[in-house]
Amino acid sequence: MDTLLERRALISAAVTVFIVILLFVFNLQRALVLGAIGGAAYGFMALGLVLVYKSSGVFNFAQGEFGTVAVFALWGATSNDIPYPLAILLALVAAVVTGLVTERIVIRPLFDAPRVTLLVATAGVALLAIGLEFWFGEPKLRAVEPALGRLGRFKLFGAAVADQEILLIVVLLGLGILLALFFNRTNLGLAILGASQEPTATELVGISVRRLSSFTWALSALLGGLAGVLAVPIAKTFGPGVMTSGYLIPGFTAAVLGGMTSLPGAFVGGTIVGVAQAVAVTAPAMEDVPGQSALAVFVLLLLVLVIRPQGLLGKSA
Amino acid sequence: MTATAARKHDEADEPNAEAHGHGRAPHKPTPAGWVARGLFMAFVAWLVLLFPLSRDVSDLRIFGLAAIYAIIGLSLNVLLGYTGQISLGHQAFVGIGAFASAYMVSVQKQPFFLAVGVAMLVGMFQALVLGGVALRVRGLYFALITLSYGIMAEGTLFQIEKFTGGSAGQEAPLPSGFESPHRYYYLCLLFLAAVIFVDWRLMKTKGGRALLALRENPRVAATLGINVKLYTLAAFVIAGAFAGLGGALFAHNSEFVVSNSFEFRLALIFVIMTTVGGLRSRTGVVVGSAFFALLAFLIEHEYTFPVVGWHFNVESWLQKLPGPDLTAEIAPLVLGPALLLLTLIQYPGGIGQQLRPLTGWLRGGRFDIHDRGEKEVVVADVRA
Repeated sequence: MDTLLERRALISAAVTVFIVILLFVFNLQRALVLGAIGGAAYGFMALGLVLVYKSSGVFNFAQGEFGTVAVFALWGATSNDIPYPLAILLALVAAVVTGLVTERIVIRPLFDAPRVTLLVATAGVALLAIGLEFWFGEPKLRAVEPALGRLGRFKLFGAAVADQEILLIVVLLGLGILLALFFNRTNLGLAILGASQEPTATELVGISVRRLSSFTWALSALLGGLAGVLAVPIAKTFGPGVMTSGYLIPGFTAAVLGGMTSLPGAFVGGTIVGVAQAVAVTAPAMEDVPGQSALAVFVLLLLVLVIRPQGLLGKSA
Repeated sequence: MTATAARKHDEADEPNAEAHGHGRAPHKPTPAGWVARGLFMAFVAWLVLLFPLSRDVSDLRIFGLAAIYAIIGLSLNVLLGYTGQISLGHQAFVGIGAFASAYMVSVQKQPFFLAVGVAMLVGMFQALVLGGVALRVRGLYFALITLSYGIMAEGTLFQIEKFTGGSAGQEAPLPSGFESPHRYYYLCLLFLAAVIFVDWRLMKTKGGRALLALRENPRVAATLGINVKLYTLAAFVIAGAFAGLGGALFAHNSEFVVSNSFEFRLALIFVIMTTVGGLRSRTGVVVGSAFFALLAFLIEHEYTFPVVGWHFNVESWLQKLPGPDLTAEIAPLVLGPALLLLTLIQYPGGIGQQLRPLTGWLRGGRFDIHDRGEKEVVVADVRA
């Protein structure tokens, strides 16, 4: 166990150092900063995706919409002059409720269905949410203010860092540590891990797998909601389906990159995806290529699946 | 187990075999029964073949699209239905077929049928390349990689100016001899019939039975000597050919192709229409795909019954719902996913299964409202 952990830590350290050196050599430090910031949002998405995958083996395509629902709730609350902290709380409650409803209505009846069916079902949930957003929200862009408005507190390698971006990274790191403690130290966390590995045995020792499933979906919806309310206001405007179109695929790539079952992997993966996108957008060689960031994500995904299908920090299947 | 399942599927195609069990003589319809069946078939034929003649040009494009969607639905059915792999990047396959055909006709000045052939070849080629890489990993990862490919194609491949005309788009005129949308509609129907025929024959071959076996349990199939990867790749290539054909027809149906007609949303609509139609049921997939192609039209359309004097319009009903107006543009976005979830949770066989009493009856069986056709085999353990 220790050697495995050591090896994993070594791999991630080596990859990180290699990438950082590469970026300095090609004079792309700015991309490093932009990428790390952008990657934090992807890491957030990946965290929620990994959580659900770990506990029930589902690729949750509705994860992005948990975030969008929260953003819409935040917008609704702030435009009705509800104080910002309360508005964030309402937004997170909206996300959690969406997660619980999804679990109850869609996931639970399909508990024993093939995983591909569940994937289609969660994609259906995402589409339904987007459809409802179009219906009630009209296809237009809305503006939402960030929690911390100050821009450019300091500059790092020529990239201005806004307060909201710092907040995003701090919350992500804090949550990551809390989650790691939760899964390793608490009974509930251990029960979730147990249920994912041996559902029958878990039931036998008196743990309700179904109740655990509700809890994991609520938790991952909370993570999705947090990603939404923290990341979307950085771009200021949003429309229906914002999190699905902008964050879901990079989030998935980050999760796969990290090994799909590894929480630290989700962070590392998120950062790598963010940096790859930032490099693709800022590198002079890529200037004439349209759609660089989606291309970067695709190439990265292909490379990982060809070279190391189990991900950077994943266990081999 | 897989062998019996494959045989079961064969039997399900025969009238009476499954539904009426053992010990009872097969149902023989009376002459009047055959007349009733004939009349019903005649009505369907009238609806598909003669009714469109009386409509004007703009409607015909939508009807043509229904036939094209049916081809695309059958393409996705090969993957999702027969192999259990899901492609979330099918809009890219269709789009590349569309651009290949438009490029051959407008830039290279080649005849239409050659262009369609090229579009199918291009579809097969990209399926071969992408599948060669992506099928190293099965199941959920395959979905992810096709999804990422689709989004990449939308942003990068479709923006290559020489090939697609960039944001200005590419012209794709109606082929000579089929200049009127009416004639082109029949051409699309002809291609659809060809695809249905090929799909039907292919599934009767050894390869088709192997595909059914490996969908149910790839491990058991592998122990029976089925080369799982090879057959899955072959299915992917066939799906690519059908998608390329669908794309080519799509391009010429609208006479113009632009890259933003192939958004990610389209890929999800394809998945929805195939699933709601009913996986592994050709009738269901065709009906489901056509239904989704026509959905906006069906909602907007003003229905009139000349003899009794009824007339109604679905859009005006929808606007009575609480909340903002549910227009014909937005309604499919809400109704489609709702139908998908309903299908998955309550009626996993989709439209194909709902139509089963009717199709069984048309084949000369009893009209049995409880006829559900082949039993769904649920293999719980296909976690990837």
